[in-house]
Amino acid sequence: MRRSLFTGPTMAVVALSALSGACARDSGTDTVSVTPLGAEFMAQVAPTLSERPNFVDPRGPRMDPTEVPGRFPFYWTRAIYSGYGRRGWRQSWATDYPKGDQQFLVVLKRLVRLNAYDWENAVPLDDPKLRRFPVIYAVEVGGMNMTESEVEGLRGFLDAGGFLIVDDFWGQREWDVFEYNIRRVYPDRPIVDIGLDHPIYTSFYDIEEVMQVPAIGRTQYPAECYGCVPHVKGMYDDEGRLMVIINFNTDLGDAWEWAEDPRYPLKYSTYAYEMGANMIVYAMSH
Amino acid sequence: MDRIFEFLFKYRPLVFEQGDFTFGAPTSVRIWLVVGGLLAAAAVASYTIARGKSSVAERGIMAGLRVMLLAVLVTCLMQPSLILSTVVPQQNFVGILIDDSQSMTLADEDGITRSAFVAESFTPGESELLDQLSERFVLRFFRFSDFASRIDGPGDLTYSGTHTNLAGALDAAREELSGVPLSGLVLVTDGADNDNQPLAEALVPLQAAGVPVFTVGLGEEAISPDVELGRVEMPRAVLEGSSPMVDVVVTQRGIGRVTVPIIVEDEIQILAEETVELGPDGEPVVARIYFELEGRGPRRLTFRIPTQPGERVDRNNARSVQIEVRGEREKVLYFEGEPRFELKFTRRAVADDENIQLVILQRTAESKFLRLEVDDGTELEFGFPSTREELYRYRALILGSVEASFFTHDQLQMIADFVSERGGGLLMLGGQSAFAEGGWEGTAVEEVMPVVLNPPTGGGPDGFFAEVKVRPTPAGFAHAAVQLGLEGEAVQARWDSLPAVTTVNPISEVRPGATALLTGSGDALPAEQVVLAFQRYGRGKSIALTIQDSWLWQMSAEVTLEDQSHEAFWKQMIRWLVDGVPEAVAAVIDQDQIEPGDLVRLVASVGDSTYIEVNDASVTARITSPSGLVEELPVEWTVNRDGEYAVEFRPTELGEYEVEVNAERNGVTLGSDITYLSTGPSDEEYFAPGRRTQTLRRIADETGGQFYTAETIGSLPEDIRVTGAGVTLVEQLDLWDMPILFLLMLALMGAEWAFRRIRGLI
Repeated sequence: MRRSLFTGPTMAVVALSALSGACARDSGTDTVSVTPLGAEFMAQVAPTLSERPNFVDPRGPRMDPTEVPGRFPFYWTRAIYSGYGRRGWRQSWATDYPKGDQQFLVVLKRLVRLNAYDWENAVPLDDPKLRRFPVIYAVEVGGMNMTESEVEGLRGFLDAGGFLIVDDFWGQREWDVFEYNIRRVYPDRPIVDIGLDHPIYTSFYDIEEVMQVPAIGRTQYPAECYGCVPHVKGMYDDEGRLMVIINFNTDLGDAWEWAEDPRYPLKYSTYAYEMGANMIVYAMSH
Repeated sequence: MDRIFEFLFKYRPLVFEQGDFTFGAPTSVRIWLVVGGLLAAAAVASYTIARGKSSVAERGIMAGLRVMLLAVLVTCLMQPSLILSTVVPQQNFVGILIDDSQSMTLADEDGITRSAFVAESFTPGESELLDQLSERFVLRFFRFSDFASRIDGPGDLTYSGTHTNLAGALDAAREELSGVPLSGLVLVTDGADNDNQPLAEALVPLQAAGVPVFTVGLGEEAISPDVELGRVEMPRAVLEGSSPMVDVVVTQRGIGRVTVPIIVEDEIQILAEETVELGPDGEPVVARIYFELEGRGPRRLTFRIPTQPGERVDRNNARSVQIEVRGEREKVLYFEGEPRFELKFTRRAVADDENIQLVILQRTAESKFLRLEVDDGTELEFGFPSTREELYRYRALILGSVEASFFTHDQLQMIADFVSERGGGLLMLGGQSAFAEGGWEGTAVEEVMPVVLNPPTGGGPDGFFAEVKVRPTPAGFAHAAVQLGLEGEAVQARWDSLPAVTTVNPISEVRPGATALLTGSGDALPAEQVVLAFQRYGRGKSIALTIQDSWLWQMSAEVTLEDQSHEAFWKQMIRWLVDGVPEAVAAVIDQDQIEPGDLVRLVASVGDSTYIEVNDASVTARITSPSGLVEELPVEWTVNRDGEYAVEFRPTELGEYEVEVNAERNGVTLGSDITYLSTGPSDEEYFAPGRRTQTLRRIADETGGQFYTAETIGSLPEDIRVTGAGVTLVEQLDLWDMPILFLLMLALMGAEWAFRRIRGLI
């Protein structure tokens, strides 16, 4: 794979962001023990715990629930949809939430000159407020089972000019579930492959290869299903503009979430952040 | 009144105006009169000494009356007279200039046409007036309309002239008669001058030569009943697909305040029909009409009001206007300082506008830009233009949320010059790095902005942020950018239905001379927000849109998919931005009603690639006639103004002419432009055909002449005799025998007698 010009710096930024303690501290139930590179050396000269300065979270305050959204030009918004949990005990829309979202924002803001709200922002598909966030992210759609109001909400959102990013679902069965749901929104719009000549691959970084990004713990065998190859597919509106991008058989969200984990190969996070930056820059300009 | 004056004072007022008053009594008589005065004083004194039934006051009154009587008598004995110059009969010339234009064929209320009056008053052998003039003067007749020429008599008049040029007529007659003793010029006309030549240019030489002009005003001052389509104001060039806003001025007299239709049509079809309620008699009303123009190239549009019942003049109910529909794709540069949805949805709104090329330069990282809609890979490859040549290629510039410190000092000045010198349009959008929050205060661009910047509030999570409910101002309702493609009450209703947006730039004041089109209110706003404002700046215009998310008018759940308000707003905004933006080389023919044979003046403005005027360019005009004949004329620098070149020519054919102007300097092409003109018959004479009394009085007053109407023209020969120039002799007119003096004496004597009777003194 030929690296793009910015891959090296990107990797460095991702690494530094992850290693500098930029991960979310209040991320929820997931916790990971961190073993920084060169820990042995650092331990010999590192100040004692009592001498270390307290971590000051550089992120801004959380949004006042009563305030109208709009103070920031961009909110990384996760779509809340009805459906099934992967393991039955948690809705699939909340996979990697909120740590993945917070982590993604930290690095994204360092890569792209984006005046973004620092925190997660989850909005139901049938909430009229969804229209204030023209880019939304839906994950684990293999567990999707939208209500009629959610179908209408998503259709109205896309018809008005919204952009949907779909991620992290694997295998034929999950594809069928997703396709069933999206066909309720648009029965006739074709879902097509997005070739590498599409402008989305050059909107910020030059991406020359579609990579299969594994979940945490699956880095040796990235595919979650036998023979699954990664696809980037899309759906276009009547004017020929891309309005839905579907990352199938890949898990960008995990790569965003676990970039700081030394066990997680940086190349996947790099690719995932590059795709993330490209998708957002593209969605905000097309 | 003049007759009464003449009866009392023996002569007309004009004689007293022209003459010099004097007393003709010899010196010895004066001495005796002084003595007489002293005796009279003694007599008065005796009144005061005498005793009798009268009181002191009564004696004073009677003495006063007697003194006044003596004064009148003394005045008569002192031989008052007027000294004035009168022309010598048959040794002076008088030029009679008769209006030969179409307006002279109009009939007044009595049914008599102005031309009929001329025939009656100036036909030899049939007119007492002409006979009197002929006895005293040598007459020379002239006809005039757009130009003047000698004629033998009124019989040579045709009344076919389509323009009236009073100044030209006076100049021509003065020059023709400059070698002879000229007592004056008689100008017989309705005064409806519709040529461009200033009247003052003709009056000054007449004043210098001491030649009075006697003006005879014909016709009514106001023709009624009549509806007149007075003026059409519309741009000379629009982009294809535009809906130009056209103002039509309509005036009525005697028709009443009815509603009449205005029909807009081209050679093929009716483009629009609008109704207008007429104003009070003589008061113009403005009808605003919108219509869409499809198809490129020159178009001849006619605005017409159908003839109303009883209307006396119907040839002033229509006007034709030339307009060019341009099919160019205007380049607009939109520079956004960060990824924002405003850019996305603005692009979408104008994506299907074939005449707008919205070039995008979006900063996505510190030294990284996303370029869209560029012509080739080299356009904007180094980011925002750093030279005027590069920036001036665009007709308009949109600045999003980008801080002033991003630009160098030279670039900031360049942006200001882009508006003032290049004549481009500048639109600044709201955002966290815009206006004062973006550090634009104190920069060269601040002066260009139509709004006053408040001290910055500071951005970020704790900065200013407010919801704004937007509504049009009264000025906004009349502006295409605010009307959203609707009319009347629908405009207000649509704005009321649009959701609130937000702003992070508190701005509540416009600059002097700027106009606010949209304002907004909200609970968190310190004052009413100026949402959309504009001003002319130098050769261009600048617009401020202080909100940051107009895209909500597209995306919000409160807006239906069918609602095209966002698209309409942005299409109109960007077309407005590029409207009227000049090219480096621009040609203009600022005349609408052109007939074959009329003199046409072509003016070209020439600048280099940085729009600096050049005075040493080689400019040519290639004129193609309707039949295909091509003529090339050099266009010379006018010297009056930098970069201004002009040439005059006379089109001789009926139809459409194409005029292409090319400019080059030192072998380098500076640019070219094409304009069009259309020749055809003109009805200009029928517009405002009423008698222009004020103009005619001015001509008479400034030259020492007199103004007459058809009723008062009888005194013209005598007035020329006493006020005229040329060969004159000095005449002394006695005034001692004025009836007023005799009547005054009688009145004083009678008053004293009556006083005595009343007081019982006799």
